[in-house]
Amino acid sequence: MTVPIFSKTLRDQRWALVLWSLGIGALLLVMAALWPTVRDLIDADLLAALPEALVELFDIDDMVTGVGFLNTEVFSILMPGLFIAYGVGRGAHAIAGEEQDGTLEVVLVSRLSRSRIALEKAAALAVSLTVLGAVGFAFTLLASSLADMGIPASYAANGALAMMLIGLQHGALAFAVGAASGRRGLAVGVAATVAVMGYVLHVAGVLVDGLEAWQPLSPFTQAIAAGPLSDTVPLGFAWLALAAVVFVVAALPRFTRRDAAAS
Amino acid sequence: MELAIRNRDLTKHYGRTRALESLDLEVPRGVVFGCLGPNGAGKTTWIRSLVGLLRPTRGRAEVFGIDVTERPNEVQARIGYLPGEFNADDDLTAEEYLRFLGSVRGQHDRDRFRSIAERLELDLGRRFGDLSHGNRQKVGIAQAFMSEPELLILDEPTSGLDPLVQREFLQMLREVRAEGRTVVLSSHVVSEVEAVADAVGILREGRLVVADAMEELKGSARRRIELTFAEPPPATVLQEVPGVRELRFDGRTARLVVEGSTADLVAALARYRVEDVVSHVPDLEEVFLHHYRTGGRQDDGADLQQDPP
Repeated sequence: MTVPIFSKTLRDQRWALVLWSLGIGALLLVMAALWPTVRDLIDADLLAALPEALVELFDIDDMVTGVGFLNTEVFSILMPGLFIAYGVGRGAHAIAGEEQDGTLEVVLVSRLSRSRIALEKAAALAVSLTVLGAVGFAFTLLASSLADMGIPASYAANGALAMMLIGLQHGALAFAVGAASGRRGLAVGVAATVAVMGYVLHVAGVLVDGLEAWQPLSPFTQAIAAGPLSDTVPLGFAWLALAAVVFVVAALPRFTRRDAAAS
Repeated sequence: MELAIRNRDLTKHYGRTRALESLDLEVPRGVVFGCLGPNGAGKTTWIRSLVGLLRPTRGRAEVFGIDVTERPNEVQARIGYLPGEFNADDDLTAEEYLRFLGSVRGQHDRDRFRSIAERLELDLGRRFGDLSHGNRQKVGIAQAFMSEPELLILDEPTSGLDPLVQREFLQMLREVRAEGRTVVLSSHVVSEVEAVADAVGILREGRLVVADAMEELKGSARRRIELTFAEPPPATVLQEVPGVRELRFDGRTARLVVEGSTADLVAALARYRVEDVVSHVPDLEEVFLHHYRTGGRQDDGADLQQDPP
């Protein structure tokens, strides 16, 4: 079986993937270069001087280890942000973007069903995020060995998987909104709003006692609460993957029945 | 007669906008059908409903006897479609793009587009984003023709093409018809439809004003005639001939317009000595303008692109 839409969608992303990989690599290597300085800076006096909430939120007491430093400085905001931005951008472009550009029009009038086209494109999104995850894994280990951070491969793998999944969950949401509506702007808007709300809920859950019970609903909590560099595969990962699948499947009936957007 | 297209009460509304209203139409196989109308008359809505991109508000669109809404992919597999606003990926060369579409369609002969590109003088090696509007349109035409579909549905296919390429394109349409395949094209250029179409439909504000074979349409059209008599013209006789309108006299010459058949006029003239007859063969443009003037309220067809005289 050939998968022409899948192949082409991946091919379309090749330069974006290269650039994003360079960004991920640069981020990890720069942080690795900073780490020895940070490690020597943090001591008991500093921790005592900082507000307790700040220490708790940023896990500053963990930053004396390589794992703790990367979890706090890279894998809490910056790295999830990179993966979410990539997933949402490509997810919104996959159907709604191409539809509004007019490039999907001829492809839709073919022997391939709209469901098939959507599923091939969704698969390409998942594969491209997996590639970025693999790049993140490789650079985490490289950074670790260059700066002597002592990060085990299993920790790096879980961290990369968490990033891939949080990117995929938001990307699938943008993909689904775009497929259902044919509107790229709406797709980006909805996914970005969910990302911001998820982050706010995660942070608020750490700081406000009453919100702790709601925190597991946040994709950020699901992805990074365990580290994300850690030796456990948390249940949250399954929720992220399930949500991604549900978003895409839920959008299919609407996509197959609605009018194609005119360019 | 086997039908390529059959529309029954085909209707598309966007909110309160009636883009297409109760369209009933049959297009037999093996013909070139031209759909005329100014911008906004509903041509593109009709075409996008035919190819399964739009769901009708009401009514049915069948292609080769298959309901497009119920089984779109069976229909779409047999169609070559050129959108009114054709676009492809800027960073692909024409060749890469056409190869991609070949794989989408499961086309075995992957290089069939080469001969089409040659005829249209399209450089396959250049990136789509670097092509002029006319050359982009050639890529669009190549993708529609390259799968040798049973039915070609082309929305404003000659837009942006230079006259030489237009001629080659019309020749390609004739070849398609000669192979027994069917072409549906929309246009606002009357002369281009007249040059190639066997049958014509005229859309106006979402309604099909008329659809008929080209010969029938022209036959039913208004014909301007100048008659020069040997003696003063028989004014009262001419006035009473059915179908004669706009009768004017200039010495021994009578100028008039006949609607429909000229048989009654010829019979009435048999008793007189007519020295000269000048008849203007009606062209499609007159037919078109006539239907636009009389189909409902007055309308001068201002959007219509007319060829210079």
